[in-house]
Amino acid sequence: MTFPVCLAALAFVWPLLGAALVMSLNTPRSRDVAVWMAGIGCALAVAVFLFPATGAAGWDDDPVQRAGRVMLAFGLLLSVLESATIPNRLLRGLPHISTALAGLACVTPDPIVGLGILEASLAYGVFVFSRPAGQAMAGWALLRTGSVGIFLVLAGLLLPAGQPPSGLMLACGIVMLAGLTPFGQPWREENDTLLFLPFAGAALLLAMRLRPHGGEAFETALMAAGLASVWLTACAGRSDNGKHMRLFRTFPSALALIAVGAKADVAALLFLSGWCLAGGSRSERLWAARALACFPPGAPFVGCLLLLSVMSDWSWFFTVLTIAGILCAIVRTVPVQEGAALFWPHDAAGRVACTVLIVTGFLVPLAMMLGAF
Amino acid sequence: MTLATILAPLLALCIVARGIGFLPALGVTTAAAMLVEGLEPLQQVGAGLAVAFAVGPVWFLSFYQQDSAREHGGPAIPFLALGLMVVLMLASTRPGLPSFPAGLCVLLAGLVAVTCRQSMVWQWAGLLTCVQGVLLAGVLQHQVMVVGAATLAGVLIALLGGLCVHRLRPRIAVVRASGKQEARKRAKGHPKEPTSKLGTASGAPSPDYVPKPPRQFDQEADEP
Repeated sequence: MTFPVCLAALAFVWPLLGAALVMSLNTPRSRDVAVWMAGIGCALAVAVFLFPATGAAGWDDDPVQRAGRVMLAFGLLLSVLESATIPNRLLRGLPHISTALAGLACVTPDPIVGLGILEASLAYGVFVFSRPAGQAMAGWALLRTGSVGIFLVLAGLLLPAGQPPSGLMLACGIVMLAGLTPFGQPWREENDTLLFLPFAGAALLLAMRLRPHGGEAFETALMAAGLASVWLTACAGRSDNGKHMRLFRTFPSALALIAVGAKADVAALLFLSGWCLAGGSRSERLWAARALACFPPGAPFVGCLLLLSVMSDWSWFFTVLTIAGILCAIVRTVPVQEGAALFWPHDAAGRVACTVLIVTGFLVPLAMMLGAF
Repeated sequence: MTLATILAPLLALCIVARGIGFLPALGVTTAAAMLVEGLEPLQQVGAGLAVAFAVGPVWFLSFYQQDSAREHGGPAIPFLALGLMVVLMLASTRPGLPSFPAGLCVLLAGLVAVTCRQSMVWQWAGLLTCVQGVLLAGVLQHQVMVVGAATLAGVLIALLGGLCVHRLRPRIAVVRASGKQEARKRAKGHPKEPTSKLGTASGAPSPDYVPKPPRQFDQEADEP
């Protein structure tokens, strides 16, 4: 067994070790240990990206997938940094376990196995969330919607490859798994950063691997769903009254699905980094809303440029429609206040997120030019 | 194509129309459809799992009270499932190759039940129907990974659904025990001391709707 294979195996096992350690410790010390374990997990993910395990036959070795797993690891670090000390042991270990299972689901050689792992992740999260009294039906709603998405993807994989029914079923399932508004899960604020961010990130990474099976219908359906979500966000109204931020939460995943449909994997990766670092309930903060709305500098801005350059080669009509949708969404959704807090947050988690987003936005095009992607 | 593979989608439609009561029949039919194709280990394991996922939840539900909530918009839902099945069959038919995607038809019926029914038990039945459909399709197409993923999903859905039923529904044993206790008190000659509005013991669940006695109306009618 070579060093890169050991490194890759350690990177997959590390979040599970972190979960076991965090759940076994007392409450006051658990947060510091969780931050350290998540930080080491990020370093391991970056090391796996730099030294790919080429000796492990059958396991996926796509650089975009590896970079996506790095973003999932940084998303875990941010979740741990943001959250206060959690007294519940199971809830404390949930982000570690969901990130570990999401990474495993993305790396399996067969997407069907990845779907099974995603179902396990969802079931564990539902079990943890629905344990308090009065939460049984909320947990059941999460399990029901997620399972419908997984069964739709399974049905698409069981149909002949490249046929329109297969592509449509795969696209519907991926849209439900990614939680795209208004088609997706009834997620709430308290569960989306702990379970939903890695779960939807894994769904986006799986969508890239399902493209050969889905064919042209899959790509077109993904673009249509992403455009519908972008335009619904644009038409929903301003965020000043705080009513329509729910639609804006999945704005980066809508753009990522459009990028997957347009075969712009690097752009999808950049939107995925925006989703993992500023998506979900974080999008209500000013710096996160600006980053998600493709303001420069940041990974979503670079991803938007890459997506539009790829789409313009494919269809001018869809390009204009996408640009108009993004602009309308920015104008109507992003808050209009001014100040330093717009650009640089005061908390440590926000600073880490902004730094990673800016560095990713600079490094990924550089790596593209050097031929890494 | 066998008789069992034709019967399985019809029973799935019965689940969409009438509820979880048809799930054991669907499980047995699915198992028969698998075993008719051959007696290899994959078919035997798939058949066993199909029967277990069908009979186990219904047996578990027999310990709990039935849901008396009414469904809205019910009559059109089975026809929606039937229409989707026809569309799927037309889309997956290739010229010169007669094919009947029985497993996917069962899966579609289950998806319709999950999305269109409001009752939790009905939705649970829909998800278990989906598991039956994926198991059937995986066994008929000899895809071990699909059977494995469906098994994992089935176990998780059965466990979490059972947990949800356990938390939402009152157990029949509690009601029976409280009823027996009440009868024993009456036989001993104790005065009736109802602890709840229905006169049951404190362990028995109290329903949200308690009919009022018609005495007030009589009094009002007697008043000038």
